[in-house]
Amino acid sequence: MSTAEPSEQLILGIETSCDETAAAVVANGTRVLSNVISSQIDLHARYGGVVPEVASRAHVTAMTPVVAQALLEAGVEPGELHGIAATHGPGLVGSLLVGVSTAKALALVWDLPFVGVNHLEAHLYASFVEEPDLEMPLVVLLVSGGHTMLVLMRGHGDYEVLGQTMDDAAGEAYDKVARQLGLGYPGGPIIDRLAMTGKPTIAFPRPVLNEGYKFSFSGLKTSVINHIRKNPDAKTEDVAASFQEAVVDVLVTKARRAAVETGAKGLATGGGVAANSRLREAVIDACLEDGLTPFLPSRSMCTDNAAMVGAVGWWRLNSDGPSPLDTGATPNLGLPVR
Amino acid sequence: MIILGIESATTQVGCAIAGHEGVLASAHSSRGKRHAEMLTPQIDFVRRQARIELSEISVVAVDIGPGLYTGLRVGISAAMATAFALNVPMIGVTSLDLLAFPVRHSPKLIVAAIDARRGEIFHAFYRQVPGGVQRVTEPAVGAPDDLAGELLARGEDCLLVGDGAVRYAAHFEDLRGVDAAEPGLAHPTASSLVQLAHAQALREEFVPPSEIAPLYLRKPDAVEAKRIAWDRK
Repeated sequence: MSTAEPSEQLILGIETSCDETAAAVVANGTRVLSNVISSQIDLHARYGGVVPEVASRAHVTAMTPVVAQALLEAGVEPGELHGIAATHGPGLVGSLLVGVSTAKALALVWDLPFVGVNHLEAHLYASFVEEPDLEMPLVVLLVSGGHTMLVLMRGHGDYEVLGQTMDDAAGEAYDKVARQLGLGYPGGPIIDRLAMTGKPTIAFPRPVLNEGYKFSFSGLKTSVINHIRKNPDAKTEDVAASFQEAVVDVLVTKARRAAVETGAKGLATGGGVAANSRLREAVIDACLEDGLTPFLPSRSMCTDNAAMVGAVGWWRLNSDGPSPLDTGATPNLGLPVR
Repeated sequence: MIILGIESATTQVGCAIAGHEGVLASAHSSRGKRHAEMLTPQIDFVRRQARIELSEISVVAVDIGPGLYTGLRVGISAAMATAFALNVPMIGVTSLDLLAFPVRHSPKLIVAAIDARRGEIFHAFYRQVPGGVQRVTEPAVGAPDDLAGELLARGEDCLLVGDGAVRYAAHFEDLRGVDAAEPGLAHPTASSLVQLAHAQALREEFVPPSEIAPLYLRKPDAVEAKRIAWDRK
């Protein structure tokens, strides 16, 4: 028996831009019927980071079973779907191609429209999956292992990139610092956990804090590394807490400034780093002080998933129609801005 | 029985549809490394040319490599998804078998050689048997000079076929008794794939999509290196 309502449009979303093989069935861009993720973290942990060729190989093996599982958990037959959406960029080209090739083949056989989805736009929509009535204009702080940017969402599909990182992404800085501290991979959750038992006693720099909406984390990472070298006895917990405090301070200071200066009604987050507990606390505190509505997607909606892809797929299908079947992967795809 | 074949192991990408009467339609293109862009429209075009509905396909065959990894994965992903969506079984054939197929009437030792990049080739040897050819060595990867040395040691008449043989022709041209097949046969084709797969399908030698695995013949660089010099990234 199908769990879909007759009036709903069901989209099968597929996500393979980095190291998660994911598929989800989403109704009308908001109701998640299934959200299946096959994580490759264990495969990459031994190398201390995502290895593209290892990721691509794992996607090929996992892809079809993940799609089958997503349909099974949703209780949906292919004939009930209205479209197939897949991330076509930005991301690792070999990984993206597995999802795109799979999605287009399914669309062709099942005679359904295919929609190529921008991964950054998908992170913006993670909030709308859980809170469809979020008021716009909205400032979204998008922070992950590959991206750090502030986006003003004026309406659906109407974005302005206010600023982004000039060097490392915030999540990348977490991974690199964790590697220097010998903590393993992925760095974000490990440092987050460790920082809870430490104190932010070290005054690491807040790079480009007063310069508009742009970010820079490369210098901060270097300061942390230098500090560890000069103070080999420094408590790892305190280094972690101090580093995290510096990152969160910069992210939140700029995000709230952006919200106030653009007259946004709310501040939302997205991307893997948005699962960080200290960042979540700080965003809520800042919003309370400034009278903004905070929106923090659940942790599983922050990290890469296909439900957000299915959500954007539904919006894009209804606003722009299907993508052509000769769509390929675009590794450096930017956010579509008007 | 209708077979759809998908082949994308080299710089060429193609698909073909065959029935009992042979190849019904095929398309191949080899410009621009645009496998993912071209394949889905190609499948749609070929099935229209063959005048069949996709739902009539009873087996999906795919070239499982060895070949160029990124392109190979495009074809294998599409083939697995197609078989899953149609709920039909699959047949995997190696790219080297596909190269040997068009020259199967040669009495010489057939050496299929695919450009593996990084100064290496993927290769396997074949011998004529009643009704076709039989692979006599396992698919392997190595330097052209090592393959040339092996051919020299064997000392028998050979026919080299494949884009690896074309690219590294200079390594083999002085060897006595070693001939090169015409360059038009340098890429494995989807037409060869559906013909070989048809014979296997009649013997019901098919597998579920979950048993199809790319033949890489090399581990990822990171696995060989055990660790990565992240500091330099």
